[in-house]
Amino acid sequence: MKRSMFFLVSLIALTSLLLAACGPAATTVAPATVVPPPPPPTQAATGCSPAVGTAAIPFPTGGKTVTVAFSQEPDLLSGLFSSMSFAQWITQGILVGLATWDANNNFIPELAVEVPTALNGGVSADGLTITWHLKPCLYWSDGQPLTSADVKFTWQVEVDPGNAVYSRAGYDQITSVDTPDDNTVVLHFKSLYPGWQTLFTSGPNNQGSIQPMHLLQGKTNLEKEPFTHWPTISSGPFVITDWIAGDHLVMLPNPNYWKGHPKLDQILIKFVPDPETAKAALKTGDVDFVPDFAESDLADLPALEPAIHTRVDAGPEFEHYLFNMGVKGTGVGQSDYEGFCPFKNVDVRKAIILGIDRQTIVDTLLFGKTTVPASLWPNSYWYNTSLTPYPYDPEQAKTLLENAGYTVDTKTGYRHGMCNGVDTKLSFNFETTTKQLRKDMAVAVQGMLAKIGVEFKPIHTPSGTFFGNYASGADMATGNFDMAGYTTGFYPDPYTDGFLCSTVVSNQNQGGDNNYHICDPALDALFAAVNASADPATRKIAVDKVQQYMFDNALVIPIYARANVMSYTDRMILPPTSVISGMMGDMFDWDVK
Amino acid sequence: MWTYISRRLFQALFILLIITGVCFLLTHYSADPMSQYANKQGMTAADRAAIAHSLGLDQPLPVQYVKWLWFALHGNLGDSFFSRQPVLTLIQQRLPLTLILMVTSEIFIIIISLILGIVSAVKQYSAIDNIITSFSFIGYSMPIFFIAFGLMQIFAVQFKAWHLPYLPTGADIWNPKNIPALARHLVLPVSCLVIIQVAGYSRFLRSSILEVLGLDYVRTARAKGLSARTMLYKHALRNAALPFITIIGLDIPFLLGGALVTESIFAWPGMGRLFWEYAQRGDFPVVNGVLLLTGSAVVFFTIIVDVLYTFVDPRIRLS
Repeated sequence: MKRSMFFLVSLIALTSLLLAACGPAATTVAPATVVPPPPPPTQAATGCSPAVGTAAIPFPTGGKTVTVAFSQEPDLLSGLFSSMSFAQWITQGILVGLATWDANNNFIPELAVEVPTALNGGVSADGLTITWHLKPCLYWSDGQPLTSADVKFTWQVEVDPGNAVYSRAGYDQITSVDTPDDNTVVLHFKSLYPGWQTLFTSGPNNQGSIQPMHLLQGKTNLEKEPFTHWPTISSGPFVITDWIAGDHLVMLPNPNYWKGHPKLDQILIKFVPDPETAKAALKTGDVDFVPDFAESDLADLPALEPAIHTRVDAGPEFEHYLFNMGVKGTGVGQSDYEGFCPFKNVDVRKAIILGIDRQTIVDTLLFGKTTVPASLWPNSYWYNTSLTPYPYDPEQAKTLLENAGYTVDTKTGYRHGMCNGVDTKLSFNFETTTKQLRKDMAVAVQGMLAKIGVEFKPIHTPSGTFFGNYASGADMATGNFDMAGYTTGFYPDPYTDGFLCSTVVSNQNQGGDNNYHICDPALDALFAAVNASADPATRKIAVDKVQQYMFDNALVIPIYARANVMSYTDRMILPPTSVISGMMGDMFDWDVK
Repeated sequence: MWTYISRRLFQALFILLIITGVCFLLTHYSADPMSQYANKQGMTAADRAAIAHSLGLDQPLPVQYVKWLWFALHGNLGDSFFSRQPVLTLIQQRLPLTLILMVTSEIFIIIISLILGIVSAVKQYSAIDNIITSFSFIGYSMPIFFIAFGLMQIFAVQFKAWHLPYLPTGADIWNPKNIPALARHLVLPVSCLVIIQVAGYSRFLRSSILEVLGLDYVRTARAKGLSARTMLYKHALRNAALPFITIIGLDIPFLLGGALVTESIFAWPGMGRLFWEYAQRGDFPVVNGVLLLTGSAVVFFTIIVDVLYTFVDPRIRLS
């Protein structure tokens, strides 16, 4: 017995030693191999010199640090290659762009001196040429100059087919980039690209952070480059100096950041997957800041005051329900599946909107911390503030349905009526993900719509399947659904592709973005007007018209503006945060008491 | 015996082939990695197609599997779809910390289970047996997340509130220069795993010992005048331990897979979390790499346990 137990314990110990020996000595993520850069240009040659040394400023004894908990670990710390929010938030602190958005959603310069406008000559009269001027004396954290050549190189990275970048949209519209001097970049577009502000800038879904030419030039397949996973140098306020896989990541000040030393001496990011653990860590002070709580966590976060504060910023992304308006066919703008026939009637769509008490959903399930938007792009410059959301009015909903010919079947309690010559019951499937909040909302909506005689049948699918592509046969992508619900993201420019006839998803157009299956020439024309000018003021008028049309025709049901829920300890000073740039966008100004 | 081992190893290869095929199919139909790029404004169809091409997702599934298998046979488990790092690197990063957690837990589980099982069997129906039995049932019936959050609430949150020395909630675990901090981080997750496992194992061992104590040869040993101690440790425990060794032997491969719930709650950067985080995103190479590792370990350690039987029980002959 002794022998066998000894054998067994020895076996376990040996196995662990052997397997542990297979691993690296520590679990540090491998950083990019950095070739020692040539000495930075001297002050005499350029009139500038790096501010302090070329290494990250070490964390001083007694220095100021903030510990952040992320529920997910970033994959690639490059906005050019990663679609992950957590990756983009960190990237915004280390690899910045020419401009960004401030807490008031203003487009402000970052590496540039000013944002181009027609007035300052940055935007040409025909809108085809955009000129940026970089700030003088910009340096990477390794002491190398950051110049217009890096901006041009970033464009080359974006359009190089050898690189699997996240998005080439807009970059592929640039025909050439001129760099007449180290601080001037001239972009030449082949056609008008109204969303030029999304290029080479940092915002949601548009990580145009400038890439260091001196480290990456001559390389391709950059998505596999160690630098793309862990950038070892920085153009932003912080540099990543340590990253233990799955555990934590350390950011120290970049000595060469153009604004100077940030208010903090260190940011420590811990990867804490469970929100309950994150709350416990806030209580013990193990972490100071959790930037990504879910809206459902609002149930107990306010109870943690005054030691822990919670801020809720309603953002430009919004949860919405969409009608499948598909018309079956093989032509442009047609779908593989026919949408639910009654949805073709605007009065039916309006009745469904009027039959959903969205404010009660916000008040009960979201604790009243966000708002019901009337249209697309809430809480942004592009939102049409003249619109008021449809109210909850079940009586008017019933009247609209009666007038549309849908009467209540006294046996079932649900309405039916003739649609394209067929007796049709007002009963349809609603598809969404398995997220608990969505399940709760669907149950509430089911009860509300039953009161007006509409049968709403939720189907919940894991998000990996729900958002699958056309080839995977996912219902959303193929258009095999009646109604669906999810959050629509925000691009810091009115995104038009999702509603055009040319982008309706079908077997002939499997990569299309139009999940609404709307094909309305009038809407296409309105969106064309949005893209007819590079001037934001002119475009705003066109964008307002688009929203008015979609509102009048009840094309989508905005449920609530997604809220950024962030909690932080009383010792931390968290300045106002841009809902466009993301929760981590202002880390230069983070501080502690 | 060597013939037996060779045959089992050959069978193992066949079993592993089936395991990889089934896992590959299951993971492919559980989540679409391209779903990460759905509904991303600013991405065009061409962008999505380029990414799918770079990941090899535009090829037929059988081609993807054969390619993956071919590279796996050459020791290359491929690159993660999202972090673009080699899967072996990702496993190497997480495995040591998983082993630290799981092996530490397993050692405590074996020692405490043995002590409680033996005491409970020898002192059958005594007060101490009843106490051990009661706590075993409590431990066995509680979900692990309840124990985990309960321990965290008491020993981290409340101890901090009471101004007592408190244990960390998790994360920021690995610092080679600070081993005492690692030990402090181990306390709560190890306690959690031990509470759950000991409850079942000690009951199992107790039943096994009691069964052996009632057999004829034990009565004969008593009649020969052997001391209770010799009888228990030399004769009864040796036979009672056989099924216990089987369970522990089969546990060993799962040490490599980590403990998903415990690792998630205590933010322990182990294999369980690696698997789950990447599985949620449909990162097939990572998921299949981890499954291949744990599947191989299960097959390998099953053979080891079978061989181990011959050492513990000379009556067993392998052929």
